[in-house]
Amino acid sequence: MSKIDVQVTINGEVYREACEPRRTLADFIRKDCGLTGTHLGCEHGVCGACTVRLDGQTVRSCLMLAVQAEGASITTIEGLSDGVELSPLQQAFHDNHGLQCGFCTPGMLLTAQELLEQNPDPTEDEVRDRLAGNLCRCTGYEFIVDSVLDAAGRQAAVAGDA
Amino acid sequence: MKPAPFDFVAATSVAEAVALLGERDDARVIAGGQSLMQLLNFRTAQPGTLVDVNRIVGLDGVRRDGDFLAVGALTRHAALEAHPVAREQLPPLAEVIPYIGYAAVRHRGTIGGSFAYGAPYAELPLVAVTLGGEVIVEGAEGRRTIPIEEFFLGHLETAVGPQELVVEVRFRLPAAEAGFGFREIAPRRHDYAIASAAALVQLDSSGAVGSARIGVGSAHPTPIRVNTAEETLIGRRPDAVALAEAGQAAAAAIEPLGATEADRTYRRRVVAVMVQDALAQAIERSREAGS
Amino acid sequence: MAVQSDESTNLVGARVKRTEDGRLLTGRGQFVDDLVLPRMLEAAVLRSPHAHARIVGVDASAALAMEGVFGVLTGADIADEVEPQPVIYHVLPDQRATDTRAIATDRVRWVGQIVAAVVARDRYVAEDALAAIVVDYEPLPVVANLDAALAADAPRLYDDWPDNVVGNIEWSNGDADAAIAGADAVVARRMSVGRLLGCPLEPRGCVASWDPFTDDLDIWMSTQSPNLARDLLGETLRLPGHRIRVRVPDVGGGFGNKFDFYPEEIIASLLSKRCGRPVKLLEDRAESFVATGQSREVVIEATMAAKADGTIVALKAEVRTVCGGALGTVGVGPGWLSATMMTGVYKIPNVDVRLSPVLTNRAPMGSFRGWGQPEANFVNERLIELLAEELGIERNEMRRRNFPAPEEFPYETGVVFTYDSGQYGQCLDLCQDSVRESGWPQRLEAARAEGRSVGIGYGFHVEATAFGPSRILNLVGLNHSGFDEAVVRIDSTGRVTAFTGQVAMGQGIETALAQLTAQTMGVALQDVVVVSGDTATCPYTGYGTGASRGAAMGGASLMRATELLREKVKRIAAYQLEAAPEDLEIHNGRISVRGTPSIGVTLAEIGNAAYRRLSDFPADEDATLEERYVFDPENLAWSYGCTAALVEVDRRTGVTQVLDYVIAHDCGTVINPMIVDGQIHGGATQGIGEALYEELVYDDQGGLTTTSFADYTLPSACEVPRFTLHHMDTPAPHIPGGMKGMGEAGTIGGPAAIANAVDQALADIGVEVRAIPITPPRLLDMIETATREGGRS
Repeated sequence: MSKIDVQVTINGEVYREACEPRRTLADFIRKDCGLTGTHLGCEHGVCGACTVRLDGQTVRSCLMLAVQAEGASITTIEGLSDGVELSPLQQAFHDNHGLQCGFCTPGMLLTAQELLEQNPDPTEDEVRDRLAGNLCRCTGYEFIVDSVLDAAGRQAAVAGDA
Repeated sequence: MKPAPFDFVAATSVAEAVALLGERDDARVIAGGQSLMQLLNFRTAQPGTLVDVNRIVGLDGVRRDGDFLAVGALTRHAALEAHPVAREQLPPLAEVIPYIGYAAVRHRGTIGGSFAYGAPYAELPLVAVTLGGEVIVEGAEGRRTIPIEEFFLGHLETAVGPQELVVEVRFRLPAAEAGFGFREIAPRRHDYAIASAAALVQLDSSGAVGSARIGVGSAHPTPIRVNTAEETLIGRRPDAVALAEAGQAAAAAIEPLGATEADRTYRRRVVAVMVQDALAQAIERSREAGS
Repeated sequence: MAVQSDESTNLVGARVKRTEDGRLLTGRGQFVDDLVLPRMLEAAVLRSPHAHARIVGVDASAALAMEGVFGVLTGADIADEVEPQPVIYHVLPDQRATDTRAIATDRVRWVGQIVAAVVARDRYVAEDALAAIVVDYEPLPVVANLDAALAADAPRLYDDWPDNVVGNIEWSNGDADAAIAGADAVVARRMSVGRLLGCPLEPRGCVASWDPFTDDLDIWMSTQSPNLARDLLGETLRLPGHRIRVRVPDVGGGFGNKFDFYPEEIIASLLSKRCGRPVKLLEDRAESFVATGQSREVVIEATMAAKADGTIVALKAEVRTVCGGALGTVGVGPGWLSATMMTGVYKIPNVDVRLSPVLTNRAPMGSFRGWGQPEANFVNERLIELLAEELGIERNEMRRRNFPAPEEFPYETGVVFTYDSGQYGQCLDLCQDSVRESGWPQRLEAARAEGRSVGIGYGFHVEATAFGPSRILNLVGLNHSGFDEAVVRIDSTGRVTAFTGQVAMGQGIETALAQLTAQTMGVALQDVVVVSGDTATCPYTGYGTGASRGAAMGGASLMRATELLREKVKRIAAYQLEAAPEDLEIHNGRISVRGTPSIGVTLAEIGNAAYRRLSDFPADEDATLEERYVFDPENLAWSYGCTAALVEVDRRTGVTQVLDYVIAHDCGTVINPMIVDGQIHGGATQGIGEALYEELVYDDQGGLTTTSFADYTLPSACEVPRFTLHHMDTPAPHIPGGMKGMGEAGTIGGPAAIANAVDQALADIGVEVRAIPITPPRLLDMIETATREGGRS
């Protein structure tokens, strides 16, 4: 099958690669763009480890073809921190032991980031409900939920100071 | 879990998409891809050509059209949930959409794709079957309107022809006095449901059931409207016994899905429960609407 | 992201944030699929769709001819080149062998068994080529389950076996039959545990690079046991150990599944050897359900008997593990641990336990967190509650009357093991107090008043940790060891590098070992780096990272090595300061005279002297600063805990929801309470999955019906409650540092606690749980049957 040129912007950088139509967006990000922080845990859309933000919205990068992302702007885990400063959400995960093996963590972070943008003060059940699409086999979720709630509290404190 | 090779064409108009479906052997439409990509990754689907409709301008959108809410096929679930016209004209949609997969899936998944795939567990087809509605498809011969009663033909089988594209889904708007109810049971929150039910009930001035529409999903090969369950209710006071009977009638009406006898027995049992609970909610709301 | 503590004291026991986190939070972790080596190719394997069939022929010519395909491997290709897949446990005196090679040669015995492999330009092409391989199968009768395997006329999986039984072993103590005959109350039940997958979120995989000119094998593996893997690679591929280097990248969860040794490691190595290029071979998720060791499935028939005062007098049990079509790396080890731990935490004078594992045409069994213990605990902790009810004794009072008292330790169970230490009564008190303080009794009453079905259940468990004493393990049939070696080095800048054989797989071992090393040496945490996961540069761990041994074994050995090095540092400092070594102390990287802190020297200065300015270095010491220690424990260390679950059952749907959860726990010295909490949360969640949600379901033709995450339902954030944890910290008397392991705790006590709670929630109609998982269809069946039969029989 002939290859098709795909151009996307990931974390502010432009990537242009020729790829087969059948290449998933996840493989394109990982293998063609070298951004291996996006993980593949199931390749059928359930585990959420491959979650990225496509034009601002979370999507499963295993359930999209790279050619469908032509022209899109994508954020991956590598785009969350500012220089060598962890984002407040990343910092909250560190402080609250919100990760163990770290394999689900990129998807968790991107999902939680979107939630907090839409709902800066979520209840615990709202956090759990949103994270239901991101499986973690290590933590039992409690410290992940705590991390997200803590990050929300920090955002509120910063907003209150401003 | 990598897809087999295929050709890919991104159509820019419905006409182009329909033409491609006609020209290419073994072509298949990809819209949101939230089901199809799973099949491709498992290699259970190996189309020769994928016709991508995501770049067709004007194929999405929500508007009221007479007695219907018309939803463009490319409208994403998340967009429909948030759409002001949908929220005002047909609140049940925003109530049901959060049950569909996860946020990331609802961002991509489309209404047209959901109907065209014909999965029995899909929530919006169940709503359409329960409320009434129609699906507009376009093929080489032009457009045709398929009543929802004639749309779902079997497990993962619909009336959409191989060279046709779903372009619009139309939900019949219920009377203001009618109450809507919905329930589903799934292994985990946001999983594909094992059994689901929707109900639309209108009480008469005496408090008896004036009209009732009951739909069952997930447990039967297609979303199905269960007239036998509806008939048990008409003209009756909707007490617990009546609801239980309606539930039993619905359970009796389905041909339950399931790999084992235990599976099938369980689905029958919980269909009865889902129907009762959806009815109870619908009746409660109908009372509120009437008061 | 700086590590926050400068203090070298009070590190052990502190909630120190993890040093692993930075790379994992920013997408800079390096998991096995992230590795890209120059010239690397990617492989995929073809798996049998049949549960039992003879292989008549394999035609791979079309696959081989495809563009981008570099090679194909079939069973015939490797039959003479490799030894059978290794089995390291031989715990049954008459244990039969199931010699199968990495690729099936003449017969397949489970759906998913590998019949061929392809190496290609990339995984996409490799999967294309798999579709072009034609295998001619002649189906054989399928042994689909335990009953079928034991039937008199059952087809045999191995023609040279008389039946499908792997072997037998029995332990007897006292006279169980006589004690049962004379008991005041007896309960006998047949209970079963479903088939599970450990299911780390990162699938297994490896990248093998075999230099065909030198026969050096350099392999990266997502494994918990690099040293074991090296030994087994050598045995199977007939390579000497020094030619093999195993490296471990970041591991995305292991849970025992990545302890075991798999065919893919052999296949990737041979493919690399043939094409002279590095080869990556990953299992994908769909494969993982049949490719990774399955676990748990067992049927246990057990009888427990007691006197009227509640004293347990006897236990009999027949344990039948439902093995797959071949023995995996750990053979019937988990079944052996189920059988030997059937007595649980109770003093039982008369015991008769038998183990007879059986083969079926299912995928092989392997390791999974808990490793036989949850199965035994489920049965034992159900029986004691049933017995208590029979006798009219409050269930926890019944437990209390049968615990060994603290002064009775070390306590010999009568079946193989001696528990080192424990204060079980205190732990039970702690759990019950917490349940009361959390208001569960009131919640239960309030819910019942509303017509809801709520119940409280308990489960007490012991956990075999710090695995284990090598010579004893060898005696019981482990063809491997259980010690740990550690090496610690101070460099010329005075900073510390700790080398461990343990592997980081998410459990925080890098941080925990750094804490222990820093405190022992007297340096700040950021002055310690822990290096792991490389057989060429790291010490030997006899077993690997599993069996709840990381902190206890890795920690104890490293602590001792660090102590040795600390003594050398003190001798050097004493020479430089003209003081006596015993008068010196080390704090925050500075060695000074106790009571006279102004007289001192820094570790950086000592490091400089040891490597670069020997003129400041004592003549009778060897240059450099490095020590090594091997720790082989005299016994396992037995952690224990009490789990309480508050559950609600929906009688109309059979759905059980866990509302609240308490665990009181003692794992000896706690290095990092934050990490321990996380481990217990995660284990408890797997226990909840095991009790309610997860099951590998086979059909009557040996086909697996649960082959995706939509069917094999891991608990999500919505299914799991908050956890209330309480810690005791009674040091292990025989482990330096006093640590006991705790990695498996949560998986062991949960299922019994949940089952006991479900029983209580449905006590009025007399539902009795005898099988897990308690899926809604199963429970609804039981509810309807019990209701039909009109309440408690």
